[in-house]
Amino acid sequence: MAIDGRRIFARLQSVLGLAVIFLLAVLFSPKSGAGDRIFLEAGNLTDILRQAAEIGVMALGMTLVILNAGIDLSVGSTLALAATVTAMVLTRWKTDLGQAGHIGLAVLAALAACAAVGAINGAAIVSLRIQPFIVTLATMIGIRGLARRLTDNTNIDLGFGQDVASTFAKTGSDKTLVVVIFATLAVVCAVILARTVFGRRVKAIGDNERAALYAGLPIRRTRIWVYTLCGLLSGVAGVLHAAQNHQGNPNAGISYELDAIAAAVIGGTSLMGGSGSIGGTVVGTLILGVLTNMLRLNNVDSNTELMLKAVIIIAAVWIQQIRISPLARRKT
Amino acid sequence: MLTVLLTARKISKHFDGTQALRDVDLEIEAGTVHALVGENGAGKSTLSKIIAGVVQPDSGELAWDGKPVVLRDPVEAQRLGVGIIFQELDVFPHLSVADNLTIGSLGAERGAFLNPRGMQSFCEPLLGEVGLRVPPGRLVSELSIAQMQLVLIARALGMNARLLIMDEPTSALSDDNAETLFRLIAQLKQKGVAILYVSHKMDEIFRLSDRITVLRDGAHIGTVLTSETDMNRIIAMMVGRDLDAGSGRAASTNQQVLLRVAGLSSRKLVNVNFQLHAGEVLGIAGLVGSGRSSLGAALFGLDPTVRGRIELRGLSYQPRSPGHAIDSGIGLLPEDRKTMGLMMQMSVQDNATISILDRLQSFGFLRTGAAHGQADEIHRRLRVKTAGADALISTLSGGNQQKVLLARWLLVNPEVMILDDPTRGIDIGAKYDIYQVIRDLSGAGKGVILISSELPELLQCCDRILVLHEGEQTGILDRAEATQERIMALATRTESLADPGH
Repeated sequence: MAIDGRRIFARLQSVLGLAVIFLLAVLFSPKSGAGDRIFLEAGNLTDILRQAAEIGVMALGMTLVILNAGIDLSVGSTLALAATVTAMVLTRWKTDLGQAGHIGLAVLAALAACAAVGAINGAAIVSLRIQPFIVTLATMIGIRGLARRLTDNTNIDLGFGQDVASTFAKTGSDKTLVVVIFATLAVVCAVILARTVFGRRVKAIGDNERAALYAGLPIRRTRIWVYTLCGLLSGVAGVLHAAQNHQGNPNAGISYELDAIAAAVIGGTSLMGGSGSIGGTVVGTLILGVLTNMLRLNNVDSNTELMLKAVIIIAAVWIQQIRISPLARRKT
Repeated sequence: MLTVLLTARKISKHFDGTQALRDVDLEIEAGTVHALVGENGAGKSTLSKIIAGVVQPDSGELAWDGKPVVLRDPVEAQRLGVGIIFQELDVFPHLSVADNLTIGSLGAERGAFLNPRGMQSFCEPLLGEVGLRVPPGRLVSELSIAQMQLVLIARALGMNARLLIMDEPTSALSDDNAETLFRLIAQLKQKGVAILYVSHKMDEIFRLSDRITVLRDGAHIGTVLTSETDMNRIIAMMVGRDLDAGSGRAASTNQQVLLRVAGLSSRKLVNVNFQLHAGEVLGIAGLVGSGRSSLGAALFGLDPTVRGRIELRGLSYQPRSPGHAIDSGIGLLPEDRKTMGLMMQMSVQDNATISILDRLQSFGFLRTGAAHGQADEIHRRLRVKTAGADALISTLSGGNQQKVLLARWLLVNPEVMILDDPTRGIDIGAKYDIYQVIRDLSGAGKGVILISSELPELLQCCDRILVLHEGEQTGILDRAEATQERIMALATRTESLADPGH
């Protein structure tokens, strides 16, 4: 498929942003005893990937939702639900499936719960005709409550021993596994978007819902699936979160939805729907990841980090508008 | 003698690589109507915007009253006396009529505060002048499109406009509202106001204008006195080729009934009855608000309040949704391609194939080669001008966008095709191409329902014309008995026929 010059340029722009942040990180990197830049050490670079993966996986689902001209504020709470369900099944259920079977069951239960949350979001949006912002605001609050209720407000520790919970945490926090999961899901989402009937419909509905209605597209079904996928991907992020933190914390993932939205937006996805890409979101995720890493290596205060993130978001979106404007002013 | 108000000399302008205007000259005299015509993309809008100070030319000169001027922004143009009324009426819908009139006019402001009495005395004469009888305190969002347009004309007059640029002013007006506008234009002309009238509608241009300037591909093809030319010459200048109007098509002789509608009623329709035969083109005429578009929407499953009997090839059909209508064999080209038709951020090909993705897939994956082949062939047939199937639809002209939408429906290939104002606001070449598609569809035995606001178009294309008045069917005219006068009489209900069923 040929891609015209303007679109290539648009792609390059977010990659360019990543390159700039990367260069800054290299320049400002503290040096180790041997004089090497700590930022460039393999261990650090892969750490960035692992840390970015959680938000990244959520941002993939968020990208589908935003492309569909929606928004999902419930992903942070959904992540907490996944983390707590995983931990509960691992620590409180007895099975005779063996460790692998038990872990599989826990992950499956968590993912099913999260997909159900997404499906409920989607169903409420299409059948009650309430704006996605409001529906997912409600589930953001409600699912947080559910996660806390399930665990009676406590963290469920997974431990560091030989039991099934510890094995899960050890395996699930493996750097390679986490990064491979993120990469695989990104490729799957990109393929869905670019190569499937479903993906084309997601974009078309987000671009112009009324036109999609007149074109006879199955708007309701498509939309329910979009939110289900977003819930499912938040579930994956929640399972990873539980493993990496060795606990199922019902208060995990607070304000992660904003990071996921930020990653998508920095990557060039328009909140108006219809325009954006998975590749852009991956780049957006990495920009945020490298920024966080650079600031932490330099011991920059975490509040300053937040302020810098704000600047990055505005700058990234502003730069993307520069390329839009000549098109908008075109004669009719 | 007439004095030249505005002179444009050797105006050129380009936008990212495309030359929108090349050395264009234009002279507008006070107290005349100067029509600016050309196909979409010919540069009419760009030239209008340059004269209104919205767009700055790359080169060339403007003179006002014989003195050279440079218009850096719209405010400078307004100070000189240039008013522009865009097609997409840029009113402030949530403000009152008075607020809309006084925005930008210093007379009614005192420092940063508004002066209500001043506003009142400022507005009333203006509203009188354009013949708009609404209280100045009324919110503009409560007005009709025609009234909004009058507000904009009044606003321009309030700024002492001596040149009014009107871009497709009748595109959203019913015939009687258009009449009101034409009378207003005549009055303004009497007062010495010059009007630059940008339009596709030949009958209006020949009725209103004193001179006609034709642009094609950004170049000035010629300026002629309206009294010394005719429509065919202007069209030939616009498109650079002769067109087959396709009039006098053979009446359909096929008697197979595709669609039978009996007692169709809804929120907006009362007891509509008709039959559509294979190969027939049935026109739907009526004023704005007559239920023209509602009839199309009802058949296409967009109106849940529909009652009555509909049969499609003898089988009962209860339209539930557009998806259901399409599956049953009914298609609808909607009246507004931007809001109801196109996905503006998607490519030409994606827009053309979006309704037939199910046919282009295996296991949910799109076969891009198949999509390409289908779209390419149909675009060639429709003569769509595009940089390629992957070009964004937003880069196409209105006429070509409309052709892509039509291509979408030709790919779906429904038995009954409803076209709702398919030629609105598109250039004349594309218009004739669409008439050809209508002929092809009927030739292939499809049933076509053509909803249109243009009576000549209906008379030219249709076998029969159904006329609606306030949702009620006032008659069906055969090709032989249909005239503009009779259709208007039925549409305004000054005549009614005995047998509405036919």
